[in-house]
Amino acid sequence: MRDVMTVMWKETQEFFGNRRFLWVFALAVLAMGVLPVLTLAHHSGPLASVTSSLGALFRGLYVLFAAVIVVGNTAPDLVLHERVGHTLDYLLTTRLPDYAIFGAKVLISFAIGYLAAMLALGIQLLATGLIGGAGWHWLILALPLGRVVIFGISAGLSLYVAVVGTFVALRVGEQRAAYLVSILSVGVLLIPFLVGWIHLSLTLPWVSHAAMIFGAVAVFLGLVGLRIFRRDMLVLYLQE
Amino acid sequence: MDGQEAIVFQGLSRRFGTRTAVSDLQFSVAHGSVFGFLGPNGAGKTTTVRMMVGMLRPSQGSIRVLGRDPMSEGEWVRSRLGVMLDNVGLYDRLSAAQNLYFAARIARLGAAERQDRVEAALNRVDLWSRRHDRVSGFSKGMRQKLGLARALIAEPQLLILDEPTAGLDPANIVMVRELLISLAQESGRSIFLCTHLLAEAQRMCDRVAILQEGRLLTIGDPNQLGSHGVPTVRLTLSGGDGMAVGTLALPQGAQLHALGGNEWRATVAADADIEPIVAALVAAKIGVRAVIPEQISLEEEYLRLVGGKDNA
Repeated sequence: MRDVMTVMWKETQEFFGNRRFLWVFALAVLAMGVLPVLTLAHHSGPLASVTSSLGALFRGLYVLFAAVIVVGNTAPDLVLHERVGHTLDYLLTTRLPDYAIFGAKVLISFAIGYLAAMLALGIQLLATGLIGGAGWHWLILALPLGRVVIFGISAGLSLYVAVVGTFVALRVGEQRAAYLVSILSVGVLLIPFLVGWIHLSLTLPWVSHAAMIFGAVAVFLGLVGLRIFRRDMLVLYLQE
Repeated sequence: MDGQEAIVFQGLSRRFGTRTAVSDLQFSVAHGSVFGFLGPNGAGKTTTVRMMVGMLRPSQGSIRVLGRDPMSEGEWVRSRLGVMLDNVGLYDRLSAAQNLYFAARIARLGAAERQDRVEAALNRVDLWSRRHDRVSGFSKGMRQKLGLARALIAEPQLLILDEPTAGLDPANIVMVRELLISLAQESGRSIFLCTHLLAEAQRMCDRVAILQEGRLLTIGDPNQLGSHGVPTVRLTLSGGDGMAVGTLALPQGAQLHALGGNEWRATVAADADIEPIVAALVAAKIGVRAVIPEQISLEEEYLRLVGGKDNA
């Protein structure tokens, strides 16, 4: 675990020096925080954004988008910028075990995605409170369904995108291609969930199951990744 | 460990599909020595280094680094290595000090020791005053020095350096050269040095190996590689002709080779003297105008071996 923390420390230090990442992060959080509140208020009046339970879930979907956008950018970037800067070669010559290199990148992407989701939620709460003026108790967290979406699905989804994005970046050499493939891979795999979201009645058990399935799939994929990731495979790929 | 050997290659080969990158390497590197690994681009140096650090699995043969197999005991081996690859691979978004702190954390040094080692390493390469600057603003030479400092941070038993003086100005080349020699001498640390600078290799290395197309062409003391340990002199003669010189009775093991005009190259047995040859020439009434001890430079030998192409 100490080695995982070491790589995570480095990644955290690098984020503060990565202007592009900071812009994507700020824009995603801000957009996903403000847009759903303004949209609801514009179409159905200021109170709709705080009173409707469907509106609350609509806002919850935007919290998930914030996580997907941020992790979809971060996870490939963590691998690809190391490849472009030739630091991946350095990392592979150190005593760091394979699981620390792969695991730290997945964990830090997940943490950043989850942080983005929570910040987007915070901005939504603030904007809703300002527009609706109805106090904090009306907000999405008052609903058990909302809590599962916000805390459960956003965590599962962040982890899921982090694993897929890291996998993709290990196999796709070009930065833009890796972003696209990551988002597309996640999008395709999200279709059953989105279809369910639209067509099924959003009961608490259904959403809870969705959260658990995302979490379980993400953890399974992560464990498979840890199992099969070996530094010599990566070097072979780079040489060929 | 394998006796006094820091690295042992035993029939080491590596293929990529049908292409052979490294073929049947068989040699060893002694503890506490500076070993030069020379060869043109694409000779297989990087592939060899990658196998040494356990990044690549050999197709055939084996390699022992500090007595262990770098593939099966990679973490043990890599924790005792300091590696600087040709691309250096520094984190541009981090400062010079942060790059070294990361290396120190990887080496699992405690907080106080990290601080001391980072300060000492930066001072050693004259970068202490730039410790808070981002590496993205560093020149090639500064990157090389910082990469070297990072390789040294964990005080490794074996340093593997790929072109450590590339991009440095003459003063810094001297600084790095002296640093490497002192590291090898003071602490008995072994240094495996890949370089294209043949004059540097001749000055710094105890032994060198020349590689081409994955095959080992020669290995030995860089100062004796050309003459293969045999004393050589260049003779300038007057009088007599080529035929007369060619038919002279020479001491056992001695040879004369025509270089053109009145110039001849004389070689004698390893522990013999050149005087009997001179005496034989004088006895045959051939004048000897000059006798100049000759040392074939590593560069001459390298160019002879790799076909004279300037692809180093």
